[in-house]
Amino acid sequence: MATFWDIIHLLTGTPLLFVAIIGLTWGILGGALPGISASITMALVLPFTYTMDPAMAIALLACVYIGAEYGGSIPAILIRTPGTNSSAATVIDGYELNRQGRAGEALGISLMSGVIGSLFGLAMLVLLTEPLSWLALAFTPPSYFGLGILGLSVIASMTGGSLVKGLSSAVIGLMIATVGTDPISGVNRYTFDIPDLLNGVEPVLVMVGLFALTELMSQSGSSNVTQLKEAVRIRLPSLAMMNKLKRSQFIGCVLGLFEGLTPGGGGSIAAFMSYNEARRWSSTPEKFGKGSEEGVAAPEAANNTVASTALIPMLSFGIPSSNSTAVLLGGLLMHGLLPGPRLFEQNPQVIDSLYVGSFIAIIAQIAVGVVILPAAIWLVNRPRPYRAGFIFALILSGIYTLNNSQIDLGIALFLGLVGYLMRRAGFPFLPMILGVVLGHMVESSYRRSLVLSGDDMMIFLQDPICVGLLLTAAGFVIFSLTRELRDARKAKLEEAHP
Amino acid sequence: MNKDGLSGLVLLALAAIYYWATGLIPDSTLEDEVGATGLPRALTFALAGLGVILLVRGVLAGRQAAPKAARAADDEEQDATLPRAIGFLLFGLAYVLILPYAGYLISVGLLIAAVALYEGAPRRWTVPVAAVGGAVLYWAIFVKLLGVNQPAGLLEGLI
Repeated sequence: MATFWDIIHLLTGTPLLFVAIIGLTWGILGGALPGISASITMALVLPFTYTMDPAMAIALLACVYIGAEYGGSIPAILIRTPGTNSSAATVIDGYELNRQGRAGEALGISLMSGVIGSLFGLAMLVLLTEPLSWLALAFTPPSYFGLGILGLSVIASMTGGSLVKGLSSAVIGLMIATVGTDPISGVNRYTFDIPDLLNGVEPVLVMVGLFALTELMSQSGSSNVTQLKEAVRIRLPSLAMMNKLKRSQFIGCVLGLFEGLTPGGGGSIAAFMSYNEARRWSSTPEKFGKGSEEGVAAPEAANNTVASTALIPMLSFGIPSSNSTAVLLGGLLMHGLLPGPRLFEQNPQVIDSLYVGSFIAIIAQIAVGVVILPAAIWLVNRPRPYRAGFIFALILSGIYTLNNSQIDLGIALFLGLVGYLMRRAGFPFLPMILGVVLGHMVESSYRRSLVLSGDDMMIFLQDPICVGLLLTAAGFVIFSLTRELRDARKAKLEEAHP
Repeated sequence: MNKDGLSGLVLLALAAIYYWATGLIPDSTLEDEVGATGLPRALTFALAGLGVILLVRGVLAGRQAAPKAARAADDEEQDATLPRAIGFLLFGLAYVLILPYAGYLISVGLLIAAVALYEGAPRRWTVPVAAVGGAVLYWAIFVKLLGVNQPAGLLEGLI
């Protein structure tokens, strides 16, 4: 009953409803802009949340994530350009339906399948997160070290085809994390007598620099002038159609849950896997690729499920499994909130707002999705030069709100350049983000453990949780390496015998 | 040299700079066994090692390089976007430098106009209108609504 009244209070006594709708709207608009991924949409709004109440800030970010996952399907269906990576699978049949003059229907199927996936994902988030987080209560410094290593082991599956580059990116991230005051001795490292660097480089600067600024720089001078059709109107599917789609939506939900829980899984993999499985189990597999409704429903249900289930490892253990959850983790850390059971105990209002805000956003998605479509089309059709100017100004204005610091602006711009060069050279971003986010935890827990044990390394093998986590990390790395080697060998064979 | 080789050299240079900066970290009486320089030194060697691997990979791949003409075309295409991207970033740098003197309202308006023109907006009345409109919109959001202490600069006392 208390929970019921808490929810009523959240809806009436706080601006949560407003925050959820704003976040959702921003997310849909951002996700609809080709090149602006869900993580970039979230990173753009992250500096704004600095001055907000933490509960509202986290709810806002979660709602942006939900909105962006749906928004990405709009250009995927209308101009064959996925707004986000995870909507790439939607292009296949969504655009085919558009070509057949059924764009409104495809948008409706995408919206409703997204809502179903999001609701399922949210239910799993509510059911699984807190029980898992209680494991963290038994954590000692060696356990936290093991957890940090497990988080870093995600890198093995995030290397984008080159393990060496992925590892290099992670090492640079760890290097950035060493800037500031040393966690044990308190001496300054790499601060060069600049007071703004004493607290280190905030992860939000790294995220905004790498995601948003790099994207703007990369798009500079681009002549992509594809226009959306202003006349398109969304058409929600009938009950009979929903009945027809339930199998593909179920497949999307289950695979979305699995991929969301898996570090390195993510919406793109879930979407393509569910597209494939939906075709396998469909009674009309021949329609896939030629305008199948199920081919839109399955990937959309999957990537929207991931938008919620990817939060489970992030909230329970602080392990971000995707760029978007890394931004959300950055939002938590920015407000001094640490994932795990203490978050549930000490800041239940943050969790309640996250759940209730997400629920509002998912339900409101039906109405907002219909209303916002013309605005999304209008925004995407704005001339790119003005769009770039406004987004750049928004980013720099937002960064300044963090600490009123010009140094922060300089750091973000520099990281934008670093990100641009990394992208050109094929270095993935997520390992670097993981390095920045987890670096402090790995170093401080490692050194605290050694201080506790009198420099006896055996402390890491005496802690069962640490051993379990390290073994899991090792298993994960071995599995990823094996898969990478197998794929490389397969590609070589195909090259030799086309 | 290909991308991998060049990346390897950059990583080695970065490792060298980081190693030099690690030497500037002062000693502390509260130092533990690992110390404030323990992780940084390990990271330096890790990055240098990865740099060497990339460099070797780049050199080996260079021996089986694509025909010269194709490579030249590839380089040309890439070089065309690098100066553009850096040019884009320079507007941000200019914004940072003029912000304390010109103030937020003027700086952000100039930034919008400059970026729009740089990105190919036609030189028409729409550019200044978008710049002024955008500046006023952002000023209203950040300064008035969110209460961010953005520098007033030249307009000190007027707004």
